Amino acid sequence: MKKLFALLLALVMILSLAACGDKGESAPPTEPDKEGAEPAKEGKVFNIHAWNEEFKGFFEKYYQVPEGITVNWIITPSADGAYQDKLDAALMSQSGAADDDKVDMFLAEADYILKYTNSDATQDITALGVTDFSNAYPYTVQAASDASGVVKGVSFQCCPAAMIYRRSIAKDVLGTDDPAQVQAAVSDWDKFNAVAEQAAAKGYLMTASEAATYRVFSNNVSAPWVDGNNNLQIDENIQTWMKQAKEFSDKGYTQDCDIWSDECTAQMFASGKAMCYFGPAWYFNFSMGNAQDAEKGCSGDWAICQGPQAHFWGGTWLLAASGSDNPSMLADVMNTFINDEEVCSLLVEKEAQFSNNKAVNAKFAEDPEFGSAFLGGQNDTAMFAEMAGNIKFENQTVYDQLLNEGLQSNWREYCKGTVSEEEAMSNFYKYVNEKYPSIVTP
Amino acid sequence: MGKQPLRRKGVSYAKWGYIFIAPFFIAYAIFHLAPQVLTIYNSFFENYREGLTQVGPNFVGLKNYVTLFTPDSSGSVDILKYAGNTVALWVGGAVPQIIIALLLAIFFTSYRLRIKGQAFFKAVIYLPNLIMASAFSMLFYTLFSNVGPVNQLLMQLGWSDHVIDFFAVKFTVRGLICLMNFLMWFGNTTILLMAGIMGIDQSLFEASTIDGASSLQTFFRVTLPLLTPILVYTIITALIGGLQMFDVPQVLTNGLGTPNRSSTTLIMYLNNYLGTSKNYGMAGAISVVVFILTGLLSVLVFKSLTRQREQ
Repeated sequence: MKKLFALLLALVMILSLAACGDKGESAPPTEPDKEGAEPAKEGKVFNIHAWNEEFKGFFEKYYQVPEGITVNWIITPSADGAYQDKLDAALMSQSGAADDDKVDMFLAEADYILKYTNSDATQDITALGVTDFSNAYPYTVQAASDASGVVKGVSFQCCPAAMIYRRSIAKDVLGTDDPAQVQAAVSDWDKFNAVAEQAAAKGYLMTASEAATYRVFSNNVSAPWVDGNNNLQIDENIQTWMKQAKEFSDKGYTQDCDIWSDECTAQMFASGKAMCYFGPAWYFNFSMGNAQDAEKGCSGDWAICQGPQAHFWGGTWLLAASGSDNPSMLADVMNTFINDEEVCSLLVEKEAQFSNNKAVNAKFAEDPEFGSAFLGGQNDTAMFAEMAGNIKFENQTVYDQLLNEGLQSNWREYCKGTVSEEEAMSNFYKYVNEKYPSIVTP
Repeated sequence: MGKQPLRRKGVSYAKWGYIFIAPFFIAYAIFHLAPQVLTIYNSFFENYREGLTQVGPNFVGLKNYVTLFTPDSSGSVDILKYAGNTVALWVGGAVPQIIIALLLAIFFTSYRLRIKGQAFFKAVIYLPNLIMASAFSMLFYTLFSNVGPVNQLLMQLGWSDHVIDFFAVKFTVRGLICLMNFLMWFGNTTILLMAGIMGIDQSLFEASTIDGASSLQTFFRVTLPLLTPILVYTIITALIGGLQMFDVPQVLTNGLGTPNRSSTTLIMYLNNYLGTSKNYGMAGAISVVVFILTGLLSVLVFKSLTRQREQ
């Protein structure tokens, strides 16, 4: 018995060694072969890096992949910078990678798009054949351009964000659920805070997370996160949010949790108590799954209005990676999602997106029949088309995602009352030093 | 003359000994010693990544260590605070772990009790160790979250009229981490200690019983002294593991070490530098500090326990 066991162990060891050897030895010879045989043709594998499945869904439904090409999705969640870390590693080894492993296209958000557009990791898409931006919203083109104006990518969506509110709760609190009248009631922050008090008096929450309003403030900052000397600066608008967050938390107008937490999204169910969420079209069709739940949800009980301040949130840009071995497919994908009228129409009609094509959006905005069932028949496209003109893409830095996340999570501890204000800020500065050694903190 | 050829035949087999232990030393040199030397080397450099640009490596001498030991605005030194957290978390998990493991090991090996179904119990107490620490920690996170079943249960039973935020209180967060480490490791320790106890000559126990020693006396006068070598080994390995505590608190607090970084361990601190910024300089400096700390504590434990035995 022992001998048999020993023999087995020995076999396993030899086999595993042999398996390792196999990989190392047989892999290289095949690769040069491929390169040598078909140098002019495009690569067989189209690699796309993304942080969630949203665009993948649209891509698979509406884009006809050229024959013989396999699309490979590399999806890494974005929290705590994991997506950027993985993407950076891939882009930095791009020149040495085999053709089939090269990143061809990657997705980026407004929070960190600058990092990539201002680097050599992305390439000029006008040279690839994406030249018509006449229907795209100017801010989406501006955001995808580097400092000298070279366009490196396109966004397939335009993301003016709105205040998304529960109609039934608005009726109870304000006596109306009409978007125009609700808008009048929350048209500035003082009014918004007053409504929060009324809502709390009736046992509701104004928002489901103290960070729900963060974007509205951070999009309207007058200065970026760091100044010219790389000193960290906290804009007045962000400070106003910090005050509001603490006040809301202390008075029970909101919950102390992350906007992506289960606690926050649980309030989207029909049984939920939260009146307002903030977000663009992608938020209510992609991130409000609980509200759309067939049994426990409350689809149709929602509506949108602009809210206290105009703002935008996110947008998914498709960026062209330098060194891609599939340049023509790359250009084709980009053209399809901004200029193909049929695809853009389908995105609006079937996917409740606000597309990055003014003509298509205008068509739906003017259609009296068009409306979103989730929003109780309200024509969200008309509302967003009005707001899209107000979007400004300014005061962004490459640090935005992690600084926004870090401030929210460290400030939350102060809102909960577990740390003092000084401790919360000191912890935030420590976080900044760990993530970005070059930023000078107070 | 006749004897000389024989002597020549008497080959030295010692070289085979060296050849047979060589693989370990080669692997050690490549996978342990070299990285260790490199880590120390790296700790003297400024070397990090800012977005897609690499900064350094530039030689900066002891600057990383100075930064590491510079007090923050409130006057506390971060790395000492995290070292304190780590030790607190380790003690909270290890002390009950070793006591319970010792107790169980004695029950299982007692010739008087003769517990039935030992194999079954041994397997069961070892099982939590088979679950990945991060999965185990995720499970606890879900159980104790604000919308989790524990809170629901407490409210339904009427024991609490509001949601208890377990992750906002230092005591509960640390308690949960200790509990998880205890659950994961007490089975392993039990089995090690059982092996140690079974290695003790049974006749000694019988002799002490015949001489009229009580169970407690037998334990303190016979079992414990003879078990010391294994106990020292167990405590030192647990200590080294404990100082490297990372996955459980990292996953449980989402990498933040909440509340107020009171559950941030040394390795979590190191990981913060390795994440986005790939700051090998600072991370290297922390590693060196952890290395020195581990060495010192191990010597301390070893000395204190072995001295007891001499007495």
